[in-house]
Amino acid sequence: MLFLAFGLNYLGMTALCLAMSRHHKALLNSAPSTARTYGLRAVGALLLALGMALNIIELTADMGIITGLLQLMLAGLSVGLLMAWRSGWVLPLSGILPLSGLIALLA
Amino acid sequence: MSSAESTVKNKSLRQAMAGLHTWGGLLPSWLLFVILFGGSIACFDKELEVWMRPTLHPVGETSLTLDQVSAWVQKQAPKPPHAIWMRPPDERQPYWYAGYEPQNELEPFVSFTLDPQTGEVLPKTLGGNFWFTLHYNLFGGMLGMYIVAIAGMFMLVALVSGIIIHRRIFKDFFTLRPDANGQRAWLDAHNLFGVVGLPFHLLIAYTGLAIFVTFYMPAGLKVGYKGDIEKMFSEVQGQFGREELKRKTDHAASIDKLVLDAKRRWAASGEGGTETGWISVHHPGDKAAVVDIRRYDRSRVVDFQWIMSYDATTGAFLHEQKPYKPGYTAYAWLTNVHMAQFGGAIVRWLYLGLGLMGCAMVAGGLQVWLRKREAKGGWGVGFVRAMNGAVLGGLPIASLGLLYGNRLIPNTVNLRDHWEAYTFIGVWIAVALWAIARRNSGRVGRDLFSVAAVLALGLPALDVLTGQPGALSAAIARGDWRVPGIDLAIFAVGLLCAKLAWWPRVTKEAPVKVRAKRERRELAEESV
Repeated sequence: MLFLAFGLNYLGMTALCLAMSRHHKALLNSAPSTARTYGLRAVGALLLALGMALNIIELTADMGIITGLLQLMLAGLSVGLLMAWRSGWVLPLSGILPLSGLIALLA
Repeated sequence: MSSAESTVKNKSLRQAMAGLHTWGGLLPSWLLFVILFGGSIACFDKELEVWMRPTLHPVGETSLTLDQVSAWVQKQAPKPPHAIWMRPPDERQPYWYAGYEPQNELEPFVSFTLDPQTGEVLPKTLGGNFWFTLHYNLFGGMLGMYIVAIAGMFMLVALVSGIIIHRRIFKDFFTLRPDANGQRAWLDAHNLFGVVGLPFHLLIAYTGLAIFVTFYMPAGLKVGYKGDIEKMFSEVQGQFGREELKRKTDHAASIDKLVLDAKRRWAASGEGGTETGWISVHHPGDKAAVVDIRRYDRSRVVDFQWIMSYDATTGAFLHEQKPYKPGYTAYAWLTNVHMAQFGGAIVRWLYLGLGLMGCAMVAGGLQVWLRKREAKGGWGVGFVRAMNGAVLGGLPIASLGLLYGNRLIPNTVNLRDHWEAYTFIGVWIAVALWAIARRNSGRVGRDLFSVAAVLALGLPALDVLTGQPGALSAAIARGDWRVPGIDLAIFAVGLLCAKLAWWPRVTKEAPVKVRAKRERRELAEESV
């Protein structure tokens, strides 16, 4: 469940990153519309909340809030570093990470 | 107030904070790097300890009883000790850890590590504790603790002033432009590591200070407890203790039986398990001797040890620890959040990652300072370059050197742990001299990455050649990734260092964009 939570954190951070014009242009070659910016932000926030919720479900609020925060920060760092050196990986990973987390959970 | 006025005021606050951030960050930065790096590595102290004790057998039943170990430890003490402490082997620490506290409080705790099967004393090593001690007192005792505390406070100051001078916290949240000019690229990196990890950096600096608050802010303790720190802790933790009677006795109840009784009492609650942690005997051999049996429960952040106390002579049950008072619970939460002993390996990995992010933040900040001033040159630039090589390169390479020393110094050598320390210090001095001598060559970074790469890439080979034959493959077959995990992780670090040393990224000189209309204004954070 924690792996899935990290995947969702990563996906959420990617959405927040795409909500910024500069990064949207870098990854998708166009500036996002205003509606799209707000949409991405909302989706991103929702995914991050979901990631936190999974951490809390798995480890109770006592520890889950801490691991949730740590995951959130590492996910943000991953997106930032990938954007700088391997921007081609950012979008594929945003599918691969949550999906493999889901598979690991169900398997 | 008009908006123009408020802008002027904001600008001056930002500029004031920029100066504070620059110099308040630069001066303690090398010290902070040592503390952050040591703390990050110490997340895996027990695992490194196992790596550094290759003669240890995999987890198995121990053939020693607490009574045997207790009798053995008491024989080691030249004079009857104040207390003896024992920790039976468990999964993460598959060896006996035992020692005694001498009667004289000023003498240090004397500890031994015993093989769980044979009871023999294992070869001495600095062990994983080395990075832990480096982290919290730099091997400088009380003075070291105060130095670390001052560095910690400077870290908080740098974090808060950094937030104030950073104009575009959200806009530049994911921004790192390696192709930009040197200062800009490093500033991006410094900001990314600092801002994205900000909650962790703040929390870790604050909780780190909170751990030793009784030493740093002792006024309350001096008034309320007349400076008796042990009394204070035993009272707020609801512990039991009694004075020595100075009447000898030869009779002693079986500690092993007392442990069974303690486990029965813990089990009655139905939560937190019945694993034992540290077991102590205070005033051993005296009629007033007390056995304290602590529970080891890391299933939550606050670890209530639920100490069961027994009369060591008769075995009579004396006292059970009362739940922590709310104030102490808060304190225990803060310290345990810092120490990351809850939640298992996943929490340790997360702390390691974020701790190294803190190291990267410090390194990035130092590079920003340098790039800004490099063109001018001068004494300060040379000094900072030398320090960067000596500390940022020196400590990681010396740590690798320590691992090599650990495996290559024969077990028969007297004071083996001292020789390990000499290896560590020797490697560090060598790197520091190199970094100082070649500080302005522009090549120190690549030199040191090469050395680190060679040492790190060779570590798995060292483990295979100097460890028990077949130990690695047996561990992997068991699914025990602790020792192979260390080899693999350090090998991966070696690959990264090799990449940086031998195939550095060629930075394309970004063409200077001419922008006619928009005037280039200097951001406050660029003036640092």
